[in-house]
Amino acid sequence: MKPDSTWRAFITPFVLLTGPGTIFISITLLLPLLTIVMFSFWRTESYELYADWNLDNYRVLFGEAAYRTFLIRSVVSAALTSLICLVLAWPVAYYIARHGGRYRLLLVLLLAAPFFTGVILRIAALQGILGPGGLINMTLGLAGFAPIKLLMYTQFAATIGHIYLYIPFMVTAIYLSLVNFDFALLDTAKINGAGPFRAFAEVTWPLNWIGTSIGTVLVFIPCLASTITPRFLGGPNATSFGMSLSQQFGETGTWALGSAMSVVMFIFSFLVIAIMSLTIDLRRSGFTGVGK
Amino acid sequence: MAGLLNLLYIFLYAPIFYVIYASFSQDIVWPFPPAFTMQAYVDLAGNSLYSDALINSLIIGLGSGIISTAIATAGVIGILRYPSKRRTLIIVIFLSPLFVAELLIGISSLAFNARILGLPGNIFSAIAANAVEGVAFSFLIILSQLVRYDWQMDEAAMVFGARPVRCFWEITLPTIWPSLLGAFLISFILAFNNLEISFYNLGAIPTLPSVAWGSLRFGLGPELFALAALTNGFVFLIFAVMYVLMRTGLVKFGYRGK
Repeated sequence: MKPDSTWRAFITPFVLLTGPGTIFISITLLLPLLTIVMFSFWRTESYELYADWNLDNYRVLFGEAAYRTFLIRSVVSAALTSLICLVLAWPVAYYIARHGGRYRLLLVLLLAAPFFTGVILRIAALQGILGPGGLINMTLGLAGFAPIKLLMYTQFAATIGHIYLYIPFMVTAIYLSLVNFDFALLDTAKINGAGPFRAFAEVTWPLNWIGTSIGTVLVFIPCLASTITPRFLGGPNATSFGMSLSQQFGETGTWALGSAMSVVMFIFSFLVIAIMSLTIDLRRSGFTGVGK
Repeated sequence: MAGLLNLLYIFLYAPIFYVIYASFSQDIVWPFPPAFTMQAYVDLAGNSLYSDALINSLIIGLGSGIISTAIATAGVIGILRYPSKRRTLIIVIFLSPLFVAELLIGISSLAFNARILGLPGNIFSAIAANAVEGVAFSFLIILSQLVRYDWQMDEAAMVFGARPVRCFWEITLPTIWPSLLGAFLISFILAFNNLEISFYNLGAIPTLPSVAWGSLRFGLGPELFALAALTNGFVFLIFAVMYVLMRTGLVKFGYRGK
């Protein structure tokens, strides 16, 4: 059968090339996420899902104090980690972009590379430093001092772990924004009488807000969903929303409740993305679009 | 600011170097004074659990790397070469996995595979789920490089009668292969080292990260330090090769230079 003309008009090279990716992401990301949304309105009974539509999972989620505590703890921890990463990453990325010279790519690669060795091995390495048998507390112990309790299985240790894991995202995002930033603008501001602080606040910071906001989102989202860091560094009082969520799909087998928790987590991630993207003004970002 | 940069390097690398040092020591808890041994590596090599896991991780890494690079390359060429009103939408779709937590990618594909498709945990769904993230990273890497690619070369080839497929193999690919290699290596490493996405898709099939997770539950062991040292060495070797290729000007990986 010969394809008719409307069909042929639809099969453009653009569709042929971008189609596979669109279909792939729809099947492997979008459909599974929709499945989770559907399951969140179902009911689980002795490890089986039943399709009677109800809001009980959400009622349990917002009604029981434990889940509320986990959620608030995870959101606060993710926000705090993003903020600390932001404060640490800005001067570092700025220094590399401005003074890194021909080595700036190497300097950034060295900050980004640890990210690729995977969460679990990086947490194991960090435990070798922070844990009860770790380098810091062993040194203190042998020198006759009391170990620093704060470093062993506390929320503080988990926050250090989160910064350790995700600060590469923040530095890279801010750096990528700064290398496309025209530092001559800064000099212009200074020539016209702005002090260094004012020049930063009114030129550098707003014009690189896109890097800052993308970095913030990229740190916030994995921290909110973090399960391994609080488990191995955080101790009993750091149980996170993500840990409780993964438990619903594991030991307890309450998939419907776990799905509702996933939906709530996704909504919080999405809120942060929405807030951040609303604050981006592309005309003030130096973003010139893709291609032509 | 230079001080802060150095502090950040120390913060990021002290644990890694300590782990590498301790992995060669007889006593991993207090490895001073230095007493070196290769015992941890001998144990690691002799443990069949780790070798099975290594093979599975390699399969997942290779599969995910190839799928990610192929899909992302097609997508980038599509949006750069053929202007369309839907270009922004396509960019959003390709980059959306970056903004979904790995935990959610893992759990949602578990739910979809197990309850909708009725599939037990298998290595193919793990490859596919890892490739979701790989596509996004590959897309970013290839896009940043190909934004400056000159499509007139391709048009010249077409004028002389080359068909689109031949044009890709003979003109486009020989020019852009370095960024495809970069994208492949990054998506390979990501999938190879991924814990959460693979874990929920595989059921009982072990991967290196999941075996490491299992043994970390019983505390730090020498073979875990040896595994961390090897993985770090492997990742840094790849980054070193990419950097040398870039510095020698052979390959650009999206770096504009000034």
